[in-house]
Amino acid sequence: MKEKETLSRFKGASRYVLDNELAQIVNVSMALEMPLLLKGEPGTGKTMLAYAIAENLEMPLIVLNVKSSMKLVDALYQYDTLTRLNDSRFGDSTRDVSNIEEYIRMGKIGRAFTAERRTVLLIDEIDKADTDFQDDMLDVLDQMQFDIIEVDKTVKAKHRPVVVITSNAKKDLSDPFLGRCNFHHIAFPDAEMMQRILKVHFPRLEEDLMQASIGTFYRLRQIEGIEKKPATRELINWIRALTADPDFKISSLKQGNPPYLGVLFKKSPDLALANRIFGVN
Amino acid sequence: MFSAFFFTLKERGVPVTPTSFLRLHQALSKGLVLSVDDFYSVARSILIKSERYFDLYDQIFAHYFRGADLADLDETELDEVTRSLLSEWLKNPKELASVLGISEEQLNAMTPEEVVQYFLDRLKDQTEEHHGGSKWIGTGGSSPVGHSGFHPGGMRVGGASKNKSAVQVAMDRRYKDYSQDVPLTQSQMGEALKRLRRMAPEGPRDVVNVEKTIYETMRNAGEIEIMFDRRLMDRLKVILMIDNGGWSMDPYIHVVKTLFDYARNQFKDLTTYYFHNTIYDEIWLDPPRRRKPESVLDIAARDPETRIIIVGDASMAQYELVSKGGSIYFGTSSRTPSIENLRLLADTFRHAVWMNPAPLDEWEFVWTISAIRRIFPMFPLTLDGLDEAVQYLTARH
Repeated sequence: MKEKETLSRFKGASRYVLDNELAQIVNVSMALEMPLLLKGEPGTGKTMLAYAIAENLEMPLIVLNVKSSMKLVDALYQYDTLTRLNDSRFGDSTRDVSNIEEYIRMGKIGRAFTAERRTVLLIDEIDKADTDFQDDMLDVLDQMQFDIIEVDKTVKAKHRPVVVITSNAKKDLSDPFLGRCNFHHIAFPDAEMMQRILKVHFPRLEEDLMQASIGTFYRLRQIEGIEKKPATRELINWIRALTADPDFKISSLKQGNPPYLGVLFKKSPDLALANRIFGVN
Repeated sequence: MFSAFFFTLKERGVPVTPTSFLRLHQALSKGLVLSVDDFYSVARSILIKSERYFDLYDQIFAHYFRGADLADLDETELDEVTRSLLSEWLKNPKELASVLGISEEQLNAMTPEEVVQYFLDRLKDQTEEHHGGSKWIGTGGSSPVGHSGFHPGGMRVGGASKNKSAVQVAMDRRYKDYSQDVPLTQSQMGEALKRLRRMAPEGPRDVVNVEKTIYETMRNAGEIEIMFDRRLMDRLKVILMIDNGGWSMDPYIHVVKTLFDYARNQFKDLTTYYFHNTIYDEIWLDPPRRRKPESVLDIAARDPETRIIIVGDASMAQYELVSKGGSIYFGTSSRTPSIENLRLLADTFRHAVWMNPAPLDEWEFVWTISAIRRIFPMFPLTLDGLDEAVQYLTARH
């Protein structure tokens, strides 16, 4: 579901507004052959950047979504014992059961290594995994090779992928990890930048509505005590909601009476707080 | 080049490593940095690894480069700088060797003077053939950096140009907000506490055990026999004791509440007790500390593998902790001094920690904090502190 959603949304990376600073940092990371670690508030476009890089460089993108239960080997390769067992019992496949290699499938990192051309490898939300996973993974990315123990074979990267790693954690990753990455923090876009971003998403949005909604949005972000501030993603959805409502009038924003706050605030205490301050329900 | 800038960063407390400094030079040698603006962002991405230091970086950058061109240091100065870096480099010879592009054996065979000389020579290579770059380390001829325009194979730097110079940008101090320590939110606590869970097989048998399946299938003469295991579930017992009384805890209510909310979601078997200032003969299950007392002796009879997390500022008058009848509340029995109760808990439960929301630098000035620290390992109630506490709680003692 999520994958489908992102696919369609990112179809044109022309939708990503890239600033020069970031482009420069990406270039340096590629030249130094170092992974680029991106941090930033949720919704600032860390993941989208990788899509934009892939499109810009015209390279295929491979996404590894890190999960807390994930082991490093899952990201490298899988030995499909069950299929092999099934084949050995029923023998109705074209695979050669005595050849284990036929049952080795590449994981996301493995696929990036064995791809015929250079790829962009996005390792999304690395902070979800434990530190051992993080450090071991960087070892693999450093050496650009790993072993498949079942067949005693070493997989070497044909092309060094462009590695982009994202992290949501406010906490810093381990020192050895950081030492091997280039780092960039995507700051929350200012109003001017936000306007450019919105223009990409809503080319026909009225200037009046754009100004009013951006103004309200930044005011809402400044409410004290909000745990999860609304981000770009929420703003875009909110504007969608506003434009879809035939009864909506811009004056309600100007009067400080914004509707659909639930689109912006995802946590109920935050929503309650915002409603209390802006006095609507 | 830029060593003084590097040193200013270091002096002001930005954690910059010599390796990253060498990497910066590597980047410079590849001709990727053509202006102060480039230098601003490239140096930051290589040297600074946390947004917390971005603001400091901006300030130092603005100070250092305001109106200044990229002036080279003269050679004697550079020599001194390098020499003082050397001691740090030598702590990690492997890394140094790889950055310098020589083997560890070669490095070991060099005297410190030779290493410095080697480094200086490389730097000279670099300034002399600025765009050739292949002498520097690790390029292996495969540098993606080319000739025309910018770099083919690199990102195209798009039309919109910056209307501010890097120094101006730095002086804006865009990252001021990130320089403070971040408050704890629920999800961050979650990440830290999650590691405390101890998984044990319990629950439905719905996970295929491949090894066993193969074994049983072979025993079954090749007729497939799929074996299932129970799913892993968390079985850790946790007791949380919260100091919820008194004005001294007021500033920390929010952070303690977050910890509590998260712990409640996270652990199946969690009991929360409340106390005021310190633990006397009884401790309460209800937050107003009135209706449901439970004696500390009963708690001490529980499974000793239970993890105990006590949250409190441990700040009180000395007699509250050490005298008989020390409780400042009428009706709270305290036949034994509180400190004895604390010792009892610490002796019974090997995995017990005290989380203190009071700032670390106040700890040594409060007598009762020092006294309690001698009984329980105490950690600050911050993300790092929580991490350390979890490590302590999961380690074998």
